[in-house]
Amino acid sequence: MNFLPARLSNLPRDSRDTLFLLMVIGWVILPQVGNLPLWCSLLAGGVLWWRGWLAWTARPLPSRWWLATLLVLTMGATLLTHGTLLGRDAGVTLIVVLLTLKTLELRARRDAFVVFFLSFFTMLTNFFFSQSLLTAAAMLIALLGLLTALVNTHMPVGKPPLMQAAKTAGWMALLGAPIMAVLFVLFPRLAPLWGIPGDGMTGRSGLSANMQVGTIASLALDDSIAMRVRFEGQRPRQSDLYFRGPVLSTFDGREWRPLRSGFPSRMQLPAELQTTGPAIRYQVTLEPNNRPWLLVLDAAATRPVLPGFDMVMTPDLQWMADRPIADIVRYSAQSHVEFRHGPMRPAAGLQDFIDLPPGFNPRTLAFAAELRRDPRYATAKTPELVDAVMDRLRTGGYGYTLDPGVYGQNTADEFWFDRKEGFCEHIASSFVILMRALDIPARIVTGYQGGEVNAVDGFWIVRQRDAHAWAEVWVAGQGWVRVDPTSAVSPSRTGSFQRLQAPQGAFTSALIGVVSPAFALNLRAMWDAMNNGWNQWVLNYTQGKQLDLLKNIGFESPGWEDLGYLLIGIIVAVSLLGAAWTLWERSRHDPWLRLLEQAARRLQKSGLKLPPNSGPRQMARLLLDCYGPTDVQARAVHDWLLRLEQFRYAPASADQQAPRLVTLQRELNQISWPQ
Amino acid sequence: MNPPRSAFGPSPARGRPQWPGKAGSTGAHAWNPVVWVKVRFRQWFESRIPLRDTTTLNQRNVYILPTRPGFMLGATLAVLLISSINYQLNLGYLLTFLLAGSAVVGMHVCHGTLRGMTMNLIAPDACFAGASATIGIHIHCNRRSTRYGIGLSVLESVHWVWTDVPAQGSATVHVAFKPERRGQPVVPTLTAETRFPLGTFRVWTVWRPAARVWVYPAPEAFPPPLPPGEPRAGGAASAQRQSSGEFEGVRAYQRGDPLKLVVWKKVAKADELVSRDAQQVQRMELWLDHAHTGTSSPELKLSRLCAWVLQAEKMGMDYGLRLPGQEIRPGRGEAHKRHCLEALALA
Repeated sequence: MNFLPARLSNLPRDSRDTLFLLMVIGWVILPQVGNLPLWCSLLAGGVLWWRGWLAWTARPLPSRWWLATLLVLTMGATLLTHGTLLGRDAGVTLIVVLLTLKTLELRARRDAFVVFFLSFFTMLTNFFFSQSLLTAAAMLIALLGLLTALVNTHMPVGKPPLMQAAKTAGWMALLGAPIMAVLFVLFPRLAPLWGIPGDGMTGRSGLSANMQVGTIASLALDDSIAMRVRFEGQRPRQSDLYFRGPVLSTFDGREWRPLRSGFPSRMQLPAELQTTGPAIRYQVTLEPNNRPWLLVLDAAATRPVLPGFDMVMTPDLQWMADRPIADIVRYSAQSHVEFRHGPMRPAAGLQDFIDLPPGFNPRTLAFAAELRRDPRYATAKTPELVDAVMDRLRTGGYGYTLDPGVYGQNTADEFWFDRKEGFCEHIASSFVILMRALDIPARIVTGYQGGEVNAVDGFWIVRQRDAHAWAEVWVAGQGWVRVDPTSAVSPSRTGSFQRLQAPQGAFTSALIGVVSPAFALNLRAMWDAMNNGWNQWVLNYTQGKQLDLLKNIGFESPGWEDLGYLLIGIIVAVSLLGAAWTLWERSRHDPWLRLLEQAARRLQKSGLKLPPNSGPRQMARLLLDCYGPTDVQARAVHDWLLRLEQFRYAPASADQQAPRLVTLQRELNQISWPQ
Repeated sequence: MNPPRSAFGPSPARGRPQWPGKAGSTGAHAWNPVVWVKVRFRQWFESRIPLRDTTTLNQRNVYILPTRPGFMLGATLAVLLISSINYQLNLGYLLTFLLAGSAVVGMHVCHGTLRGMTMNLIAPDACFAGASATIGIHIHCNRRSTRYGIGLSVLESVHWVWTDVPAQGSATVHVAFKPERRGQPVVPTLTAETRFPLGTFRVWTVWRPAARVWVYPAPEAFPPPLPPGEPRAGGAASAQRQSSGEFEGVRAYQRGDPLKLVVWKKVAKADELVSRDAQQVQRMELWLDHAHTGTSSPELKLSRLCAWVLQAEKMGMDYGLRLPGQEIRPGRGEAHKRHCLEALALA
């Protein structure tokens, strides 16, 4: 099949250019395929193939009626799919449709420009869905491709190789990069100009507001990164790394929910947080989770610092922002590992934490009653009962598994007596149900536990697989006390750096089996570090960081106006430099002419009358006429002038050493001029 | 030369100007104040440009303005920026600014495409009024980058000739124009432009060459036969005037006679080769006289004379030209022809 390459290189220029542009457009649309409605992806692919076939076989384009019909149909389909023609998702669909249909109408140069500009906008729509390093790399290639096509359009002569246009485009992008960097750093980050349509943020993984048995199983296997933490100073022990998420206190037999989350906090038990011991300071870079939760290390008494957001602490110690985290954010926070919270003495609100739905888990209730009747625990306080249950978990043959199977209606019964295995969610849920059956106020806390350090950049990485659920039990005189029943079942889950299974992300699974696991882990650490750098320096470049930068430069109290002034100042400075360079370039002469001019000036200074534009030989003759052939100095200048002439006009021959310009310049400086 | 590229599509542009905004204005719109101002501005602008046969393009004579696609790109950048702000997309900012940076670099590349080049006019050949003439232009560039997509044309014309100029090399292009009137006009004002690399800016220069081009009168398409010869002034055998206008002095063909001396009509009648007798011919003188052309229209007179000159030269005859206040002795050959035609052009 060497027919195809030959055919490719023999394609007429129009067809080749069209095919190249279609390829670039396909590359621009490709990352969107998962986000577009199926019909739209199919249509885009079909139209691009059709247009490519037309170009390949040099057939005429379809008539405008075809296009109009297709356009009306796709508008209708968009309306049906999204319910509107406005808004972000419908807009993305429409732009992809318009872009592909416009390729069928590439008649004049103007149409080509419309295609280019629509493509630029389609590139941007990719970023609605992902701003990762990979997306950025793909779109950089797309941008270079589009610029190449655009440059190629403006090379009207013959059939220049595409590489030529690509080289020009690459140079332009490379030289444009400093402009991009300056604008990116200094362009003031404004708040959205108008409200953002809130659609399209679905489907991102993260902790859930509710907990149904089984939901965290999928999270625990998700290797994507939930947050990165950089500790100032000593990192707390692994077993203290509990990042607090939603607290679930209401149980309906199937599902755990937050306690009356809609109620104002004054109608709930106050947090009454008291911290002791040293504070741990750290910065968290939180991946977008589309939830208002700010995950902090248990327990943060002071407000995390996150500019642009307003935040409050709920009575159950969770920090909530005033709007969902839709983008990567970075905040600094301060926590104490030693703390007490909750009422110290029995309070009315604690009733909520021993409620159990009737008709569920009868065997657990019976077991609780049996425990209560046990003479050993007749006078036992809460701590002893908790210890007893933890002992049972430790020694009763309970196991930790990621694959516990589907539980029935009485989840606690099944865990305690039948299956005796599950993961943190089952264990915590069953534990809290048993506590409540023992009339001990208890609740479930979800969040992340543990993590790992990235050896490359030192960030502490918490992944979605580190999602965890534990329990809090109310003890008179101590308030809420954290109990992690999972640690009783499987100490390794919380206590050490060991993970249950070797991490296998999409990236590493491709590598494992080819290279050694240690090398793969190293690669993965580097990849994570690169991603983290990308997040820290590009995606998380906010107004706060801009102002920090100004402060470092030396502004006293920078505002965004200062950014504008700085930007304008840089633009003016660069323009002035450009103007100066232009002036310099204008005055720049041929170096040979400059030498000649210097010599002429020098001769005129010593009294020789030279006609304008005299050449070296003429000057030499006039010199000798003036001073006579015996004057040594005049003779030297004469010879120099003839050498100057030779440099310019005599062809350099191999046997004869041709004078060099530098030599001539040096000689000119050493010449002693006749008086 | 290659035509400007219309678009990618296999079908050519229909009904759309390929390079917009270059329609020539004519006197018919002279009453329109906008057009009047435009025309006056252009006259003033052109009068500032010195006449030169060689021009080196630099900051002073290269102009740049954004094109319509340039404004479209600006609008696209604005939309990209607003989207980035509204959706708080830092990657969107990067894309917008990289595109903007590339466009700024493109602007400089575009300006640099013309800057630093030297254009030489190749002395144009003489031509006839109403027929198209070509101007040769030699473009030279001694910088180290290839210059792509340079178009040349006569100012106000829509016919562009596109060329690339290799690095430290040169290219020659030919631009056609149609002189309307005879005379020795200055070569029309030329313009060079480029939109390389992004098409967002138009960079152009206006060049007024100093060279003049001979424009002879348009030869009449179907002129009447040549006028009869006049007897040589003072010649002895001057009485032979023949109404037919033909020169009948003939002799038998001799080996070595040029073919155009063979009188083919006689050859057809008689069965032997017959040549014109040079001595006979020289006894008669062909005078192409402005006063005896058989028409009164002044331009038609010149056209007819022009056609006769060409005809007589082609037939290899000697001919003289009489114009008011000017007489060119009979003669023959390329130099004589040019002399006569130039006299006609200026008459």
